[in-house]
Formats: sequence, structure tokens, C-alpha cells
Amino acid sequence: MSDVVIRARGVQKSYGSNYVLRGLDCDVGRGITGLLGPNGAGKSTFMGLVLGLRPRQGGALHVLGTDPDQSGAELRSRLGYAPEHHDLPGDVQAADLVRHIAQLHGLPRRAATGRASDALWQVGLGEERFRPIGTMSTGQRQRVKMAQALAHDPDLLLLDEPTDGLDPVQRDDMLALIRRVGREFGIDILLSSHLLEEVEQVCDSVVILTNGVVGHSGTLRDLGSAAAGMRVELDSDPRPLAAALADWGAEAVVDGHMLTVTGVTPEAAASDLIRDLVADLGLGLRRLEPRRTTLEDVFIEASR
Amino acid sequence: MTEARIHDRGYLAYDGPRHGPGRAMVNLSRHTMQRVLGLKRSNWQKVLPALSLLIAFVPAVVFIGIAAFLPQGEELELNSTVNYYGFITGALFLFTAFVAPEAVCTDRRSGMLGLYLASPLNRDTYLVAKFAAVAAILGAMTLGPPLLMLIAYTLADAGPAGVTGWLTELGRILASGTALAVFWTALSLALSSLTPRRSLASVGIFVGLLASSAVGDGLSAGAEFGDSYALLNLVGLPFEAVWRIFGDQQFDAPISSVDTWEIFATLVGLIAAFGAFARWRYQRIQVPG
Repeated sequence: MSDVVIRARGVQKSYGSNYVLRGLDCDVGRGITGLLGPNGAGKSTFMGLVLGLRPRQGGALHVLGTDPDQSGAELRSRLGYAPEHHDLPGDVQAADLVRHIAQLHGLPRRAATGRASDALWQVGLGEERFRPIGTMSTGQRQRVKMAQALAHDPDLLLLDEPTDGLDPVQRDDMLALIRRVGREFGIDILLSSHLLEEVEQVCDSVVILTNGVVGHSGTLRDLGSAAAGMRVELDSDPRPLAAALADWGAEAVVDGHMLTVTGVTPEAAASDLIRDLVADLGLGLRRLEPRRTTLEDVFIEASR
Repeated sequence: MTEARIHDRGYLAYDGPRHGPGRAMVNLSRHTMQRVLGLKRSNWQKVLPALSLLIAFVPAVVFIGIAAFLPQGEELELNSTVNYYGFITGALFLFTAFVAPEAVCTDRRSGMLGLYLASPLNRDTYLVAKFAAVAAILGAMTLGPPLLMLIAYTLADAGPAGVTGWLTELGRILASGTALAVFWTALSLALSSLTPRRSLASVGIFVGLLASSAVGDGLSAGAEFGDSYALLNLVGLPFEAVWRIFGDQQFDAPISSVDTWEIFATLVGLIAAFGAFARWRYQRIQVPG
């Protein structure tokens, strides 16, 4: 299988005259990829295009090597999808629903029955599989959605806000399950979310959408190794140091006793400069460390 | 001896056979029929579908019983097939208005539509599967009893005369039953596509049918605008089509003076219009999210 699961080039989608995606370019690789963006950024629309539910107005889109507009039905048999909403038919048993969806994805009845049971065990609902969904908690329903998306053994799993409505314990359990599906089961995942923290916890890569275009995309490992200045903590007011750094062309942002310094490269030179200025000013230095780019930094930058 | 237990079965990839969208449609139709009939659901959900089937089949069973237990040589005016549809109008009305909306409304309300469209089904194949499910149950109601009666009357030596007569009767039953099932299914799906709420759809269909009946009869008989206005009566139109299929016409009804071709053209046109409307509606429903 190719290392690129989803390839989008100049993808456009509008509803009437309102363009939701305005020439989206991105490569979603293998592993777990977070699709981040504020509400209205186009995340659900992009998922809809990946599923082939809507035709796009322009650009090229390939999912698992095929164009969703050309071979939607065949492609969808290889995709698993867990929607955002919590409503599932309340009077249907979890096992019946999962088996039904597996059959719709092409599995013969006997195989679908067996795999529905297995999928419900995998998501931790083995003992509850014959309960009507209406009697289940929000966390259990989210797991049912995960099970129905998994049962037919998809190549790519699309999860839309999978932790929405969960309490912190349920949320951690769900994130652990997503990690397990991505790492142990070997299924590639595109996880749509607006929560940076959960994307940082489980994802290998991230695609940040903003105003219908990709504001940033890349692996979280690259993100974490990218330097973003120096962080200085003093035991007194850091403003004299900030002023001294400004004379050297550095930008320093004061936050209590902390100072974030950017604009001096390389890292070693910045470190030496700050150390010398602190000594010259007779200040007490508590901490001096390189500052790494966080997902939040990138998200804020991309959203501007 | 040590006791061994499997605590984690692990995840197994599936490399067996996979069926295409055609089988998915069959599965969805079967699942829909089960839901519509209330199978695997609470007893309360079984009441209306069971009542509809009961009203449709009980008269046939009674007529068959009379034919079977009639003493040899005794003459009896057996009920004709075309008259039988008069007995089951209530059943068809009940099913179309109060049972059939379950086929599509609940999918939208529960979010299942999003899951279905994320499978190999698309909006058109989804609708075709739903149409087939409702039409199959309605077809059982419109075809089942007359076919049972035909077979029973034939066995009791009270059926149509000769092979040609028998085959003609069979053809008329198949055409009538299919026309009624397709018409009521198309009407039900079209009006149900307007709302995700089953109760609203039921009220809409019920009121719509009563209104069409009042308007059609009012304009044709009451205001005497012309008999063709009787075609607006959506309750009377399909049954008049059945009468025409049997080479007859209803007695003393304004629609009985309308030309047969007009009746069939209106029926086919309405079926096409209802189908096109349902398709148009489903093309515009937003999923996912």
C-alpha cells in the first residue's frame, strides 16, 4: 500500500455561492492523522468528500488510490466511518446494528455476525453486545459507533469527533482505544477533532484546516523537534532583560517571571547571549531552555 | 491440569469474500421490512403492521372458507377479485399512512442515514432498497389475498372458466396488485421524505389523502367542474385503475366516466412524480454531520 492514504490537490467544495473548501492541498499518510480546525473550517465537508458523499467542484482527490467521485461504492466498502452524532436507533441491539452495517459493507451474514461480536469485544462491549443501544451510556454508544466502523475490517477509519460528549475517564478510554486501533490493528485513521490535546495524545500527523484551506500539515514529531526560541525563567522582574534583548534585535514576550525569546539564531548563540545579559544585569536565572513548537502554536498561527 | 483462558482474542483481518452494492440493497431491504413489520421490536410496534395484514388477509380467509365448506351443488355468489380491493382499502390506507413512514423517517432521525451513505450504498440505491421493502409488504397485501382466493376458488371448482380465463384473471391480479403497491409506496416515500419525524409524516399522508379525496370529489361532483377533476382523488384513482384493469368501472362515481387512458396516464404520472420528488429530496439531505 502507498504511504499516502489521502491525496488532495486544489480541492474545492461550495454550497451555493459559499465556498467551504477553497483549493485544499494535503497528503494524509499512514498511521493516525488528526484533522484539526475550528468549527466551520471544512472538516466535516472534507470527510464527506473522502467518503464520496458529495461531488467536489474542482481539484483532484484520491483516497486509497481511487477517486471517491468515480468509485464511491467500491471505496466506501474499504472505509469505516463513525459519525459525530450520538443518536443511533435505541431499540436495536448493539450486535444487530454492527452486524447489519458489516453486511452492508459486503460481508456475508455468517462472517458479519462473527466479526460484529469480535468488534464489540475489541471495543470493550463484549458483555453488553445484546443490549439495546437506547439503554447504553454516551461512552458505550461511542464504542458501538467504533465497533460498526471496525467490523468489516476497513483500510481507513474516519472518526468524527469521537470523544464528543464523553467524561474525562471515558475520553481517556476512547483515546486509548483509538491508539490501539491505529497501532495494534494497523488501520489508518483520520480523526476529526477541535481538541488539540487529544490530537497530540494519539496522532502521528496533523492537518489543520482553516477557512477551507490547509493552514499546516506535518508529523507531530517534526513539530516537536522544531525550535521556537528560548524560554527563560528568572527569580525577579524579567523586563530589564527583555529591554536588553530588544537592543540585540530579539523579540521577548514577558509572562510573569517567564520570558519567551525569539529572533536569535542559532539556538546556541541565543543561549549564550541570554546567559551573558542575565549576568551583566545581575539577575537570578532559574531556567534557560530551548522552546519547542507546540501544536497550539501552529494552530494559532494557522488560524490567523 | 492448569486452567487456560483467552483474555484477548486480538484483532483479525478479514480476507474472505465481499459482496457488492446489490447485496447491500437486498440487506437493507430485508432489514427495513423487519423494522416496518415490528420484528425484533416491542409489541407496541407490531400492532399497526399486524392489524394492516389482518385486515388485508382475513376477508380472503373467510371467503376461502365459505368456498371450501359450501355443500356440493349449492350455488353461491362468490366475491370477485375486483370487489376484494374494496375490503382492503382500510388496510392499505392504514399501512401507507401509519406504518410505511418508519421505513425512511427513523433513519434520518437516528442518524442511520449517514451510516448507510457511508457504506457502498448511495442516495439512489438507498431509496430503491427502501422502495422495494415497502412495496414488497404492500405487494403481499395486494397480491397475497387475491392469489389465495384464485387458487382456493379454482380448487373448489368456482374459479375462472378455462385456462385462458384463469390466466387472464391471474394477469389482472398481478397487474392490479403491483399497481396498487407501487402507487401507495411512491406516495408514502414522497411525503415521508419531507420530515424525519414519523408522526408528522403519518399525519401528512393521512390529511393529504383525505384532502385529495375531498378536493377531487368536490370539484368533480359537487362543483361540477368536470369528471376529470376526480383524478385528483388519490384514494379513488388507484382503485378505479384496478376496476379498469378488470375491464369494469366503479358504479356511480364521477371518476367512472373518465377515459381509461387518462386514468392510467395519471396513475403512472403520479408514481413518477412521487418517485422523482423523493429522489430530489434525498439528493439535498446533508450527511454526514
